[in-house]
Amino acid sequence: MRHALALCLVGLAAAAPAQVLVFRNNERWEVNNPLALDDKGKPVPPDAKRAKFNATFDKVERVSRAGGAEFTASKRLEEVVGIEWPAIAQLRTAKEEISRGNATRALELAESVLRVFDKAKKVPGSPWIAAAIVKLDAIDRLDNDAALAAFLSALETVDDGSNAELRQKVQVAKLIQKARRGDHAGVIADADGLIASLDSADTLARLHILKGASLLVLRRYEEAMNTYLRVPVFYGSQQEHLPKALLGAAKAFRGMDSPALKSQRLGEVANRYLRELVATYPVSAEAEEAKALLPKEEREAAIQEQTAIKDAVVAPAETGGE
Amino acid sequence: MAHPVSRTYRMAQAALFAVLVALAPVPTASAQQKPAQAQEETPTQKLWNEAEKLLAERKYPAALERFQQLEKDADKAGLPAEAKAAIAFRQASCLYLIAGQSKLGSDWTKVEVALQKFLQNHPQGTGTLLDATNNMRGPARLSLVEAYAYQSKWDEALRDLDALRKPSPETREEDRVLAFVMTAKILELRAKGRSPEELKQALGQSMNLLKQVIAGGMGTPERREAALKLVEVYASLGMAKEAEQLRAEIEAKGVGSPAELVRANAQRLEIGDARFQTAEAEPEPKAREELYRQALSSYQGTLRRAALSRALVLAVESRQQEVDRLVRAYAKPTPEQQAAIDKAKEQLDEVSKLQTEFGGNKDYDAVISYRIGLCLLELNRPWEAFVAFRDIFQNSPGFEKISGAYYYYIDALRRIGRTEEALKVSKEFLQKYPDSAEAGPIALGLGEIRMEQEEFEQAIAEFKWAKANAKGLDPAAVQEIDFGIVRALFSNVDWAKARVALEEFLQKYPSTPAKESAVYMLGLTYFFEGNYPETVGNKDKPGALVRYYKEFPNGQHKADVLYRLGVVSLNIATDTLFQQGVLEKDIRGPDGAIAIARLWLSRHGNAKDEASVTQLPEVHTLIADAHAKKGEAFGRQAEELDKKVRTTAAPAAKQALLAQQRQAEAAKAEQVKASIDAYIQAARTAKANPAALEFALGEATKLLGGRGEHARIRDLYQELHDWDPAAPKATVYLYEVVKATEKMGDSPEFRVRTERAQAEFGERLRLARERIDGLERAGKFNTPELATAKADLARLSEELAKALEVIEADRQKAVQAARQEALGVLSKAIAASIDNRKQEGSERLLGFLAEKLARRIKRVRPGQEPAPGAYTLKAAMADLDAALGVREGSGTLIAQARRLYAQAQLALLGRDPAQAEALWRRIADLYKPEELSPAILGTVGEHLLSKRDPRAEAFLSYIAEFHRSSDYADFGFAGLAELRLAQGKPKDALTLCEEAVDLGIVMSREKDIRFAKARALIDLGKYDEAKKELVFISGVREWRGETTSGCLYHLAVIEEKQGRLQEAVVLHQRNIVAWKRHERWVAKSYLASADLLAKLGQRDAARQTLQEMLSKDRVKDTPEAQEARSRLTRL
Repeated sequence: MRHALALCLVGLAAAAPAQVLVFRNNERWEVNNPLALDDKGKPVPPDAKRAKFNATFDKVERVSRAGGAEFTASKRLEEVVGIEWPAIAQLRTAKEEISRGNATRALELAESVLRVFDKAKKVPGSPWIAAAIVKLDAIDRLDNDAALAAFLSALETVDDGSNAELRQKVQVAKLIQKARRGDHAGVIADADGLIASLDSADTLARLHILKGASLLVLRRYEEAMNTYLRVPVFYGSQQEHLPKALLGAAKAFRGMDSPALKSQRLGEVANRYLRELVATYPVSAEAEEAKALLPKEEREAAIQEQTAIKDAVVAPAETGGE
Repeated sequence: MAHPVSRTYRMAQAALFAVLVALAPVPTASAQQKPAQAQEETPTQKLWNEAEKLLAERKYPAALERFQQLEKDADKAGLPAEAKAAIAFRQASCLYLIAGQSKLGSDWTKVEVALQKFLQNHPQGTGTLLDATNNMRGPARLSLVEAYAYQSKWDEALRDLDALRKPSPETREEDRVLAFVMTAKILELRAKGRSPEELKQALGQSMNLLKQVIAGGMGTPERREAALKLVEVYASLGMAKEAEQLRAEIEAKGVGSPAELVRANAQRLEIGDARFQTAEAEPEPKAREELYRQALSSYQGTLRRAALSRALVLAVESRQQEVDRLVRAYAKPTPEQQAAIDKAKEQLDEVSKLQTEFGGNKDYDAVISYRIGLCLLELNRPWEAFVAFRDIFQNSPGFEKISGAYYYYIDALRRIGRTEEALKVSKEFLQKYPDSAEAGPIALGLGEIRMEQEEFEQAIAEFKWAKANAKGLDPAAVQEIDFGIVRALFSNVDWAKARVALEEFLQKYPSTPAKESAVYMLGLTYFFEGNYPETVGNKDKPGALVRYYKEFPNGQHKADVLYRLGVVSLNIATDTLFQQGVLEKDIRGPDGAIAIARLWLSRHGNAKDEASVTQLPEVHTLIADAHAKKGEAFGRQAEELDKKVRTTAAPAAKQALLAQQRQAEAAKAEQVKASIDAYIQAARTAKANPAALEFALGEATKLLGGRGEHARIRDLYQELHDWDPAAPKATVYLYEVVKATEKMGDSPEFRVRTERAQAEFGERLRLARERIDGLERAGKFNTPELATAKADLARLSEELAKALEVIEADRQKAVQAARQEALGVLSKAIAASIDNRKQEGSERLLGFLAEKLARRIKRVRPGQEPAPGAYTLKAAMADLDAALGVREGSGTLIAQARRLYAQAQLALLGRDPAQAEALWRRIADLYKPEELSPAILGTVGEHLLSKRDPRAEAFLSYIAEFHRSSDYADFGFAGLAELRLAQGKPKDALTLCEEAVDLGIVMSREKDIRFAKARALIDLGKYDEAKKELVFISGVREWRGETTSGCLYHLAVIEEKQGRLQEAVVLHQRNIVAWKRHERWVAKSYLASADLLAKLGQRDAARQTLQEMLSKDRVKDTPEAQEARSRLTRL
C-alpha cells in the first residue's frame, strides 16, 4: 500500500505544473519554486531553464544562452500582474501543525511563504493571501495579542475585501481580540452584525460560540443559552464546533438555574448536555472540562463509560484496502 | 433510455437507509418524455409506461403489480434480456420502497430475494437500457447490503461489501466508493448497543476505511460524501482537530459549480423530507428516532438563504460569462456553434429562473428552521426545538406556516416548563392568527395550562378570552372551550356557578361526548356543598349522582360515585339508596355507609387504575368514620346510662343499668377499635393520595396516642417512611417513628403496676394507720403494742416505696431502652442517606440526632467539672459515632464529612463553639468542595469566611455554581459577595447580589445579600440605590437586629459621603442608642460620630462620645475601642 502510494506521489510530482509569473506585457516566466524541498527536506536545486528569485524576493532573474554567451534578464516583482502557483506544501503542513496544536511551527512555515510573495501580495493568484490566513490562525492559537494586533493592522492595508475568507478571518480575529480585552458588550454587538452578514457555516458557528462566551461572562445566561444552542440546532453539521457549543450551553443552563426555576430542572439539563459532550466527544478538551463541571457521581459514571478511544483505533481485519 | 435519477440516486445511496427513496419522484421526468413515443407504443410499452408513472406517483404496490405483469408477459412479448433485467430491477425497487415505508423485516426479506434474483439472473444487468453508463448491478448489490442491514444480517452485508470494495472492471468506481462508506456505516450500526470498547473499535475501522477512500481524492460526490462521513467519525472519536482540518479541506476543494451546489442542496432537503415522512410512519420508536436524527442531519446540512443566494449569483455570473465567451468567439457561428450558444443560453435561463424563483421564496430559512424544530421536538430535545422555532419568529415573522411554528413553539415551551411564557405566546398567537387551524388547540391549551397550575379563575378568563378572540374556532373546539369553562368553575369550588354552567352545558349540548362527566360533576356540585338530600334525590326524582349510577353503570366515575353515595349515607339516613337499587337492603346511616364501602371494596378494591387506587384510602376512611360515628352513638348511650345509674337507687335496677352501660361502653370500644383499624388501613393504602393520608394518619395517631398504643404508631410511620426514605416527607415520618419509639418506653404498664402496688399497699397502710389511731384513741401511748403498730406502718411504707422504686427503675430502664431504640431508628435512617451527597435531608436528620443527644448532656457552669458518671459532651460524641456507624477514616467521603458536620452541630449544642469551629476547619482541610453536600458547603464556607480563610471562596463558589436550586444556594452568593467586598471589588459583589436577587436565589440569606448589595452600591457611589436598599432591610421586622444596626451605620456613612455631616452624626447616635447590644456596628458608629463631631468643630462632644464609648462593657474591647483610645489622646 505504502509502495503504491509512493508511486502515485512520484507520478504526481512528475506531472506537477510549473510556477508561472505573468508580467504586465503578458510575458510569462516559469520560475523555480524557492519553497520546493526534496525528500530530505532540503531545497531543491534550481532548474537553470527557469527564472529564479533573488535573495530578497523583490526580483526574478532569468539566464539565457545564445552563441555561448549568457544573458541575464531581471524583472521586479512589482511588475507581476498574475501568478500561477500550485498548492504550496508548506501551507498544507502549516494547517496540519495548527490542528496538532503546534502553532509556532505553523507560523514559521506561513512566514516562509509570506516572505516570498511579500512584494506581490495583491496580485491575482498570489499565495500570499492563503499564507496570511494560515498565519492569522497560527497567531490566534498562540494567544499572542501583540502579534495578532500587529498582523491585523498589516492585513488591513492589504485587505480590499476581495477575498471573502480573509475578510471573515480578520473580522473573527478582531472579535477574539475584543473578547480578550474584556469588551464583551462590543463582541456581542459586532458578532450580531457579522452573523447577519456572513454565510459560511463554519464562521457562523465560530461567531455564535464567541458571542455565547461573552454573554456568559456578562451573566446573560438566557441569551447565552440561546446563542450556544443555535450551533447544534442550525450548524449541527459543523461537528468540530459542537463540543464548545455544548459546553457553553451547559454553563448557561447552570447559570439560569435558581430555586424559582427548580421545576425546569436546569441543573439536570446542564448535566445532560455535559454528559452528552463527554459521551459524544470523549477526547476533546471540552470533554475534560465537562467532566470537571459534572457533579462527582455523574462524572465518575461518565468516566467509567469513557475510554481512551484514540488508542483503540484498530485496522479492520476483514476489509481490504483500496 | 437514460437513467434520469442517477445523481439523486447516488446521493441517496451514500446516505444509508434512504437508498431508493429518492428514486420515486424522478421517473416523472421519464414518464413525461414518453408522449412522443405513445403513438406507436405496444401493449408492453404501455404497461411499462403505466408502471413507471405509478412508481413516480409513489404508488408502489400498484407499480409492482404492473412490473410483475410485465415479467409474466416478457417471454410472450419477446423482450430482450436487458428489458427483462430492467423489469426485475424495477420490481426490486418497488419492493424496496414498500419496505422503506413499512420497515417490516418480512418486507426486507422480499427485497433481498428480489435483488438476489436480479443479480443471479441478469449477469449483464440492465445494460444501457436504464442508464447509458450503469447496468444497475452496482446499485442492486448496494441495496442488497442495505436489505441485509435492515434484517441485522451484518455478516452477509459485510461479506458483500468486501467483494464490492475490491477493484474490479465490473464494479463502477462510484459504487466501489459507496461500498466503503456503507461498510463504515454498517460497522457502526453493528456496534451500536454493544460495549463502548466495541463501538470505539468500529469507529476506528470506519475511520481507516474512509481514510482509504479519501486518499484517492475528493473529486467526486461519492468521495466527498465519504470525506464528510469521516468528519463525523473524527468528531465521534473526539478528534476535533482532524475533523476541523478535513472539513476545511473539503470546503477548500469545493463542491463543484454553483449550480451543482444549488442542486445538491435541494437534494439534501428532499432526502431530509423523505426521511422525515418515513419517520412519521415508523411505528418502532428506536427506528423512528434514528430516522428523525437522519432527517435532522440532512436539514442541518442544507445551506441557508444567504449562502444559497450567493451561490446562485455566482451560478448566473458563470453561465453569463460562458454565453458571452461563446458569442464573442463565434461572431458568425456555424450551426454546431449556434447550438452550443443556444445550449449555454438555455442553461443561463435555467439558472436565472431558479434565482428568480428562489428570490421569491422568502420562507426558505424559516422552512429549514421549522423542519429542524419538528425533528428536535420528535427527538425529545425541547430546548433545541425552542431555539429553532424562536429563530423563525425573530428572522422570518412573515413565514407562511407561522401558525404551525407557534403551535410547536408553545409545545416546546410547555415541555421545558415555561408555562407562563407558553401562556403569553398562546395569547399573542390567538390575537395574531385567530382564524388559523391551530387556533382551537392553542386556545384550549391556554386554559389547560392555567388548569394545570390550579389557577382556575385565570383558566376561566383564558377560556373566555380564547372564545371571544379566536374567531376561526370550529364547533367542536367551541364545545371543548365551554366544557373547559365548566371544569374550571367546578375546580374553583364555585359550586353554584358550576351547577348553573353544567345545566346550561347539558342543555346546549345534549349529545355531547362530555355528558357522562357533566352529569357526574353536576352531582358533585351538590355533594361538595354538603347538600346530601339533593345529591341523592328521592324515589321519584333521583339526584344527579344516583342518575349517573344508573345511567352509566360502566362509566369512568362509577367507583367514585359509589363512594360518594356511601358518604351521603353516612350523613343522612335515607332510603332512596335502597329504592334506587344502590343497596340491596334498606340499610341507612353509618351501616349503609359501611355496606356501600364494602360493596366498593368488592368491586374496585383490587383495581389498579389510578382513580381507584387514589380512592381506596378514602373508602377505608369512610368505614373508619362510620365506625367512629357508631362509637359516638354508643358513647352517648353509655353517658345517658351513667346518668341514670347515678340517679337510680334501687340496687337491682342499678345493676341492670350498669350492665347496659358496660355493654354500651364495650360496643363503643369495639367501634373505636374498628375505626382505628380502618384509619390505619386508609393510611397504608394512601401512598397516591396525600390528602387522604394526612387525614387518616392524623386520626389514627390521635386515637392510638390516647390509648397509649405507641408501638402501632411507630409501626405505621415506619411503614410510611419506608415507602420512599428519600422523599422530603420521609423525614417527618421518621421524627414520628423516633417520638413514638421514645414514648414506648413509658408504657401504660408502669402506670398499672404503680396503681396496683399503691392499691395493694394502700389498704394495708390504711389498716395499719387505723390500728395506730385505735390504740392512740384508746390512750395506749408508749405501749409496745403501739410501737409495733408504728413499726409495722413504717415497714409497710418502706415496702411500698421499694416496690414503687422497682417499678420506677423498670420504667427508667424501659425509657432508656426506648430512647436507645429511637436512636437506632434514627441511626438506621441516617445510614440510608448518609452516602448520598444529593440527599439534602440527611443534614436535617443529623441535626435532629445531635439535638437528641445534646439534650441529655448535663450542663455545668464554666470552669466546673461535671459530676462523675454525668452524661458529658464527650459521651454524646461517642454515642453520635455509634449512632452514625461511621468511624474515623471509614465509609464514603461524604459520610465521613457528615460525621464531622454532626459532631460540629453537637459541639455547638453542647456549648463548645471552639470544638465546632475546629471540626469545620477539619472538614475544610480534608475535603474538596465537590465532595460535600450544599448544607456542609454553606456552613463550612461561612465559617471559613468569618475566619478570613482563603478557602472560603472555593466552598462558596461551588454552591453558587453547582447548587443553584438547592436550599443553600444563597449561602454561596451571600458569602461570595461578602468576600468580594472584603477584596475591594464592589462591582463584582454587586453583580453577585443582583444575580441572586434577579434569579430569586434569596432564602435564608436574603438579608445578607441585600446588605452586601447596599454596601457595594455605597462603594460604587450609588448612594440613592444603596439608601433604598438599606431602608428596605431596616423595614423588615424579622430581620431586626445586628443588620439593622449595620444599616443605620451605613445610612450615616451615605450622609457623610454626601457632605451632610450633622445628619450623619444624628444617624450614628440613633444607632448607638437603639442597638447597644450589637457592638460590631455601634462601636463603628461611636468612632465615626466622634470623628464627625471633631470635623464639625465640636471637640468636647467628640471627646465625650469617645469616653462614653470606652465606658461601655460591650464596646470597650472592640478593635474600634483601641482606635478610640488613641484618638482620645489627640483630642
